Amino acid sequence: MNAVSNGQNENMACSSVNMANDTGSSRKENSIVTEEELLKKPYITPEDVLGLNHITKNYLCSPDANVYEIEFLRFKIRDIDSNTVLFEIAKPSNSTGSGSTLSSQNKPESHESQSDTNLNNNDSQTNNIPKDPNTGRFVRYQFTPKFLNLKNIGATITFSIGNFEINNFRMIEKHYFRDSVHLKTFDFNFGYCIPNSINTCEHIYVFPNLSKTLTQDMIDNPFLTKSDSFYFINNKLFMHNKAEYSYNGV
Amino acid sequence: MGFLTVLKKTKQKEKEMRLLMLGLDNAGKTTILKRFNGEDITEISPTLGFNIKTLEHRGFKLNIWDVGGQKSLRSYWRNYFESTDGLIWVVDSADKRRLEDCAHELHELLQEERLAGATLLVFANKQDIDGALKPEDIKEVLELDKIKTHHWYIIKCSAVTGDNLVEGMDWVVNDISARIFTLD
Repeated sequence: MNAVSNGQNENMACSSVNMANDTGSSRKENSIVTEEELLKKPYITPEDVLGLNHITKNYLCSPDANVYEIEFLRFKIRDIDSNTVLFEIAKPSNSTGSGSTLSSQNKPESHESQSDTNLNNNDSQTNNIPKDPNTGRFVRYQFTPKFLNLKNIGATITFSIGNFEINNFRMIEKHYFRDSVHLKTFDFNFGYCIPNSINTCEHIYVFPNLSKTLTQDMIDNPFLTKSDSFYFINNKLFMHNKAEYSYNGV
Repeated sequence: MGFLTVLKKTKQKEKEMRLLMLGLDNAGKTTILKRFNGEDITEISPTLGFNIKTLEHRGFKLNIWDVGGQKSLRSYWRNYFESTDGLIWVVDSADKRRLEDCAHELHELLQEERLAGATLLVFANKQDIDGALKPEDIKEVLELDKIKTHHWYIIKCSAVTGDNLVEGMDWVVNDISARIFTLD
C-alpha cells in the first residue's frame, strides 16, 4: 500500500454530516480545481475547497473577512485511551487582538508531558501582537514521534460567537504531507450558533492508519505535515488558518 | 456487486445518529457527556452555548449535542431540532422544587414537529445524591406514561459515578437503529 491510499483510510476523523472522503471522491474526478482558479472567485465555497487535492500556497481569504466576531478560544488534543491531555492552548481571556486564532507564530508546541505548563507560556506570548498580518492565522505544532502511534484522539475546539446569531457555520480541515499526500479531512457543520455563546466541539476519532515509511518520513521532515482550516458561514469562506506540524520533538 | 457497493455506502452514511441532549440548567448534561467520553469532570461550568461530541460507539457514528439549559437559552433549543434521531432528557433527580418546570419543558418539546420521530431517553441523573427521587417517581411527575408519540425509556444514572450512562446510551442507539437501520 502506498502512502496515499493509507492516508485515505476510512476511519477518519469526521463524524460529521459527510465523510469527507465520500463527498470528495465523486467531485474530485470531475472537477479538481486549482488554487489559482479559486483565488479569482468572489468568494470560496465548501465545494471549492473539497475539490482541492493539495495544501494551499496562499490564504484563500483575507484576514479581514472575519466580520462575524467568531473567536477561537481554546484548542485541545487528548489521548482517549489514557485520557491524557497532549496539547492545550488557550487564548488569554482579556485579549483584544483581532486575530481569529489562538496563537502566534513560533508558538509551540508541546508533547505528551508538557501540556499544562504550555498553557501559561502561551498566554504570555500571545500578548505580543506581531506585525505580520498572517501571524494570527498560522501556527506551528511540535509533537514527539509517539504522537503518530496514538490510537484514539479527541480534538476539541472552543469558540465564541459575537453579537449576532450564525445560521450555518461549517468547518473543513484538510491535512497533507508534502503538499499533496492526503492524511485526513474533517468536515463538520455546526449549523446554528447562539449570539454571544461559547461553544465546544470534540471530535473523537481513530488516528489514520499510516504506513511505517510515511510515518518515518513525517518524523524526518519537520513541518512538511501541514493543514488548512477553512471556516464557512452560509457557505462562504470567512476564515482560513494554516498549521504546520513536526513530530521529532523529544 | 455494484448494487451492493451502493447499498453499503448508503448504510454507512446512515449509521450516523444525531442525539440532542436537553434539560434544565444544572441537570448534569455536560457532566454526562464528558463522563461518557472518559473526560475529567472536576471543573464544569454552565454551558453558554453548545458542547458537541462526535464519536464512534458500537459501529455507529454519534453526534451528540448538549445545549445549555438556562432559561435564557431555552428559546434557542429549537434551532437544534432538525434531523434529531434521539432526544436525551436529563433530569436532576435531587431538584424536587423544579420538577414541575422540568415536566413542562419536556412536554413542550414533545409537541415539536421536528422532534416527532425522535426516540426519547430520560436520564434520572444525580442518583448518587441522598434523597434523589427514584425513576418511578420522576416518571409520575413527568407523566411519561402519557407519551404515545415517541418511544421512551427512563433510566436512573449518576454522571459522577458513571453508573448507567453506557446502558442509557445503548438503549437510545438500539432503539434508533431498530427504527431506522432496518437493513441491518
